[in-house]
Parts: sequence; structure tokens; C-alpha cells
Amino acid sequence: MTATLAISGWGVLSAAGTGAQEFAGTLAGAAPSRAADVTAMFEEPLPQDRAHALVGFDVRAHLGRKGTSFFDRSTALALVACGQALADTDLEVGEANTGRVGIALGTTTGSLKASSDYSRETLVNEKSYLVNPILFPNTVMNCASGQAAIWYKLKGVNATIAGGPLAALSALRYARNAISRGYADALLVGAVEEFSPHTAWLTEQLYPEAAGRVPTGEGAAVFVVEAADADRAGRRQPDAEVLALEVGEFAPPGEMPDPASGLAAVIRRALAAADVNAAAVELIVTGESGVPELDAVERDAIAATVPGAPRLLPVKHFTGEARAASGALQIAAVLAHHRADPARDGAVSVVTACSPDGSVGAAVLRGWSRGDGTGQSR
Amino acid sequence: MSENAMQTRVEEIREIIADVLEVEPEEVSETGLFSEEHDVDSLRAIEILARIEKVYKIDIPQEELPKMVCLKAVCEIVAEYAGWV
Amino acid sequence: MSRRVVITGLGPVSSIGTGVAAFETALRAGRSGISPISSFDASGFPHRNAGEVTDFDPKGLLHTLDVDAWGRTSLFAAAAARLAVQDSGIDPDVLSGSRAGSSMGTTSGESQVIEAITGQWVRQGWQQSAGAPAAQYPASRLAVAVNRELGLTGEAITLSTACSASNYALGYAYDQILTGAADYMVAGGADSVARWAHAGFFRLGALTKERCSPFDAGRSGILHGEGGAALFLETLESAQARGANIYAELLGYGLNCDAGHMVAPDPVSIAACMRLAHRNAGIYASDVDYICAHGTGTPANDAVEYRAVRDVFGHRTPPISSIKSMLGHAMGAASGFGAIASALAIHSGFLPPTINFTAADPEMTDIDPVPNVARQTRVDVVQNNGFAFGGNNAITILGRAT
Repeated sequence: MTATLAISGWGVLSAAGTGAQEFAGTLAGAAPSRAADVTAMFEEPLPQDRAHALVGFDVRAHLGRKGTSFFDRSTALALVACGQALADTDLEVGEANTGRVGIALGTTTGSLKASSDYSRETLVNEKSYLVNPILFPNTVMNCASGQAAIWYKLKGVNATIAGGPLAALSALRYARNAISRGYADALLVGAVEEFSPHTAWLTEQLYPEAAGRVPTGEGAAVFVVEAADADRAGRRQPDAEVLALEVGEFAPPGEMPDPASGLAAVIRRALAAADVNAAAVELIVTGESGVPELDAVERDAIAATVPGAPRLLPVKHFTGEARAASGALQIAAVLAHHRADPARDGAVSVVTACSPDGSVGAAVLRGWSRGDGTGQSR
Repeated sequence: MSENAMQTRVEEIREIIADVLEVEPEEVSETGLFSEEHDVDSLRAIEILARIEKVYKIDIPQEELPKMVCLKAVCEIVAEYAGWV
Repeated sequence: MSRRVVITGLGPVSSIGTGVAAFETALRAGRSGISPISSFDASGFPHRNAGEVTDFDPKGLLHTLDVDAWGRTSLFAAAAARLAVQDSGIDPDVLSGSRAGSSMGTTSGESQVIEAITGQWVRQGWQQSAGAPAAQYPASRLAVAVNRELGLTGEAITLSTACSASNYALGYAYDQILTGAADYMVAGGADSVARWAHAGFFRLGALTKERCSPFDAGRSGILHGEGGAALFLETLESAQARGANIYAELLGYGLNCDAGHMVAPDPVSIAACMRLAHRNAGIYASDVDYICAHGTGTPANDAVEYRAVRDVFGHRTPPISSIKSMLGHAMGAASGFGAIASALAIHSGFLPPTINFTAADPEMTDIDPVPNVARQTRVDVVQNNGFAFGGNNAITILGRAT
């Protein structure tokens, strides 16, 4: 009854690269690159001079000026990633299926900068109400998905999921339900997080004691998702199948119910649902960020459930702590891992996530390379 | 207000409008209708009004919005509420 | 045999009453929850009224959560959920040991937390630590709060699809139970009155001054509202087995997206969403006895909603009223309150009124907005409308569980 999802194309924007090829290349490299100098990005002070931010990102370079001037950064990042995903898939999206194609995007709280700056205006302006009407939609969390629907003409199910580190897994679950229940045929699914003084300061202050934290990051990743058993006549092998998506709600680290044993149960459930033996897992992309108590949740759960020594990839060491985008960047890392390497075709990977609130999740994916081995799209 | 001062104001307003409509100032003509030439929507129309109110520290009732169809009309309404005579 | 999904618990935390009894009494009386804004200094605004929950008492309502560790909106969500579970009569220990989760909708999430952090940045600069609020601003915490309050370890999903978010959340919860992915779900939504949204709606010209009067000739906008709305969902079989009071059955829902404009609603797309909801729920338009309107009270929304309703229902348009006339626009909680009102309409046999109604809009004289006074009548099927910024249309269909 519940469909297995197939990913037929994807787009990514992160400090580790823009677009599938570049991102895959960075992750294949030996060491994460140093975070970028962000001191010139904003007028406001920043807690650190370096971050995994897209310093030169300009939405106009991707989408033009018309219609983009008033986008918040989250919306801009999301729209560019959606465009990449649509260009990367072999699914035709057009007039014929516009009502059957939708979007499910994950976020932490939309554009924090847009909301906070709007609030600031009401405090510092001579008159509280002298705010800019055109920026008001940016303060609403579904701005990115609404604008994506307008930009790419997607009239189907349109959802925004506020899930923080779990947002991408939740968005995939939402999409899987929409497709399984017949509400949609395909969705753009992903998550986005922007870098701003606002996110930088709050991310910094969440775990001030953790000296080994990865720098703050930002980015977006979007996947074109369809039912794996949909008619694929004349189309290529999908990039991946999402075999299982499981989530659970426990307590923050150190409290009960223990999130590590909760995540272990979630991973076991996911492997069972995927009908995959734990020993077959080749790669685990974790959400570890150098915060010891959170990292321990994932490490302990993995040690308890996946025997042997699968390769562990803590992708935030490449992308930074990109909050809601992180889960999507983790999945993108799995896809990148397969993109140009036919030797890994059919391999099984697991993605794990844990939030400071004790929300945990795991996905099981099986991936394939692009047929010609170059990793190029069609 | 002198002819020159008024023309300066017109250029200021032209820039405000151009910015909201995402076009170059020279693309905003005196009498070209925003709705026809620039595909203006209600949100952008209110944004134009809001920016003008803020810049010139005046209050323009929203009832005037339907009249603000082109640069010339906007300038006339602003002149009226700002007392530029 | 396919599972059927019923509503057995209602948890409103609203400006017109907290708890199902107070809420129903207020709906029947056509009580207004509008008062002068107290949660922020509104003196700089020409319009200073909203539908705040002035008597919200999280400490009194919540059993588990440390109220100091959560933002106002999460507390609304958790309190509403606690009330819905209490109303359902289910043993809380049975519930927490079951496959159970929550699905909550919101527009602005922890808006008051973000405003508090912003205020501190403005007054004391960026370097000043935000303290606890740094952990409290993610909107995901709404559903997390519900799970934590009730001890649920299943999925906690927060859908931030603006003003139709509760209907999204209800729809997702419905599917979880229908497909067997969960046995119990708490679904609804929550939002808090916030200065930034008050300013934004005012500046858009969408905010009225004193009274919200949907479908009225003289309507001039919304009033901002807030609160938490939660509904407890389980299978018909489960409800019957434990002898629960069944308010209504959730028959299905429809979602679509205008994909045209962020702010201006589209009557053609909304009509399509209504037809989609009917089809998914397995009903005909002619089955609908009452429409719980989105009915924000802006000239544009109500005119568009009217056009869509007339397109779908024609001359057989059932009564259509807006509880936002009483509550104000509770944003992400709005369609949750609509669902609660719809369930009560079916269960108790009455139509909630549109209050503040003085004269029919000449453009829509052929609808019945249930003006000012609640009406006693049998209701079997209700359509609960939710539309939103971003063109996110979501409509739920509730019916008598037979």
C-alpha cells in the first residue's frame, strides 16, 4: 500500500558544490575545504569570520532579475535547487501533468531573517506599521514552496514541513504518502536553510561549549520523487530508490526516553521495512556536527544496529551545520556517492538524523550511477 | 514648488516605481499603465504606495490605490497629499 | 476491509473558550473573542484589536511540559492536544504505549519567540546571547511539544503551510490512520498573535479595525487571532471497541496549489480543490449540508470563496458561515478550529453563525451566511475550507459516522 519512492533527478546548492556533478566531486575529495570568509556578506556583525556559506550566491545569475528581487534567501536557494532538479530528471513536467506534480519542502522556520527583520522594522521605524508589503509573504514559512509552484507551474500538492534536522526525511514521508494515496504522481522534495546573521548567531548559541562544532552552513537540495513502480518505459534507471523512511520522537540527549535507543529502534524498523540485512549497508551518512552529546546519539544507535564497519560520512564536515537543509544534503551525499561510480550500483545506504529536541529518523536508500558512467545528466 | 524641484521628485518616484516593478527607470514612462506595461499586481501596487509614504512621510489612503495607474497619476496623488503645490 | 477514521476528541484553546464545552457554548451564542491587543505594545498601530487567548493558562492545562522551556505556540499546540485526549476518554497510558503521533499546522510557528529574540537584538546587539529562546524558535517544536506532553514516540510532523495548515495536518493524520501507519493521531494547528504579522496585514490593507464581518457588504478585513486546535483521531473500530463518543468521521480531503500568486486567491483553483475534496471523500457536492468557510472577512477572499462555492454548488449552495467573525483569523490554527466547529455541528446539530453581519453583499445575496444567530438543524456532511498564502488550498470533509 505504501509506495517505494524513486528519485529521478536532483539539484543541490551548498558550500560543497552547486549542482550534482560539483557536489559529488567535492565529496569524493580527500578533505573538506575550509569554510569561506563571510565577513563581507552582511552589514551586521557575525559570530565567526568563516562559515560554509554560499558567499557569491546571486539568484539573478540563475533565474534573472524579473520576479526575483524580493525573494528571501531561503526562497532563492530553494528555487534554484528546484530548477536544477527539474533539469536533471527525465520526468517531463508540463501542461499535461501540472495538477499531478507538487512540492514538499522542509524548513526550520522559513526565512528567519525575513521574519526577524520584519519584526525589527516594527520596532525601529518611526511608525510601527511602516513595513514593506511586498516582503510580507517572505515571513510566511511556505513562501519557498509557494514561489516554486508559481515559478515552475506546479499545481499539485504543495506542502512545507517544519522539521529542522528531520525536515528532509519528513518531507520525503509526506511525499510518499501523497503519492501512495494517489494525490500526486510526482513531487519535488527537499529542504532549505539560509545563512544570515540571525541563523549564525542562534546556531552559535545553541551549543556554545562544543568547541569542535562544524561551522554554520546553508544550502538546499531538491529531489524529483516518483513511485518506483510507475511506468518508466523508455526512461533510465532512477538515481535511487527510497526503501524506507522511519522517524520517532524521544527526549533530548540525557533525558528519557533515550534518543539513542529510540534511533536504534528506528534504524531497525527502517531496515526491516526496506527488507535489507544490516550487514548489507555500505554507507551511512550521518548528521553529526561535532556536538558530542548529539553525535553520540547517532554513533551509539549505529553501533547497536549496523554490525561490521560501514563507511561513515558526516557530511556536515563538508556542508556546515545547515539545519533543515542538512537532511537533504545527507541524501544528496548518498546520490553523489553513486553518481559516477557504476561499481556501487545497487548498494544500500542509510541516512540518520537527530535533533536537539530528540526527534530522530533514518532512511534507507539503494542507489545507481548514471548509465554512461560519467555522471552527466542526459 | 519650482518646476525643477518637481521634476526631481518625479525622478525619485520613477526610481521607486522602477525598483518595485523590477525594471530600469527609463522603462517607466509618464503615462504608460503599470498594469499593461509591467504586469503590476495588487501587492506591488501597495508596495509602491508604502515606499512613497515612507520616503515622503505622508499618509495616502488605500482608497487612492486604484487611481495610481501610471507615473503621472502617482505623482499627482503624492503631490496632493504632500502639499506640493 | 478498509479502515475508517473518526474524531473522538476535541481540544480548542481559543479566544472564545478553552475546552470543548466552553467552545461549543460560545459558538452557539455567537460570542466574539476580540479584545484590545495585550501581548505586544500595539499603541503605534492604527488598528489595535485581535482575538487573543487572554486567559491562556498553560501551567493549568499541561501535565508534562515545563512551560518555561517552550514557546507560546508550542504550548498552545500541547494544551490543545491534552484537551483533545482528555475529551476522547482514552487512557493516557494506553495511548503513549500505542503507535501514535501528532500532526500540527502553523503559519508563523514560534513567532513570539522570534520577536523576543529580535527585540533583544535591537536593544542589546547581536552579541548578546539569546539564551533559551535560541533553542525554542524552530517551528518543528509544535508537534514535538504535543508528543512530549502526551508521551508519544511516533511521528511528530509540523506542517507550515500557512493559513490552511491545520487542514493539511488533519489530512496527513487521516492518511496515517487509514493506511495503518498509526493507530491514533492528534492533529490540528497553533499560532500566536505577533507584531510582525499585525504590521504586515495592516500594511497590506487586509486588517479591519473593530469587527470582522465576513460576507457582509461592509466587510473590511481580518482580525488577527491565535490559539491551539487539536482533534483526536482513531479508527471507527477502535472508537467503537472502547465505547468512545464519536463526533464525526473524517471522510477525506483535497489539496492543490494556485501556482499563480502568493497573496491573491484564485477561484478556479479553489473550486477545483473543492471537487477534489469531494471526490477523495466519496461524496457529491449535493451531500454537503454546511460549509465552514475560510471566510476571512477581506473583500477579496470572501468574493473569491463565493465564486468558487457557486461554481461547485450552483443554486444548491448550502449555508456557509465563518467562525472567524468570532475568533478572528487564527492563522495556522484556523482550519483546525473550523474542523472542531464542523465536528460539533454534526454531533450537536447546529450551524455556527457569522456574527457582525449587517447587510448582504449585493454581489452575493444568494448565499446563507447564517447571520448572527446559530441555527439548530441536522447536519450530516460538512466541508471545511482552508486557503492560504502561497495558494495552498486544503479542504477537509467531515461526515456523520454511521
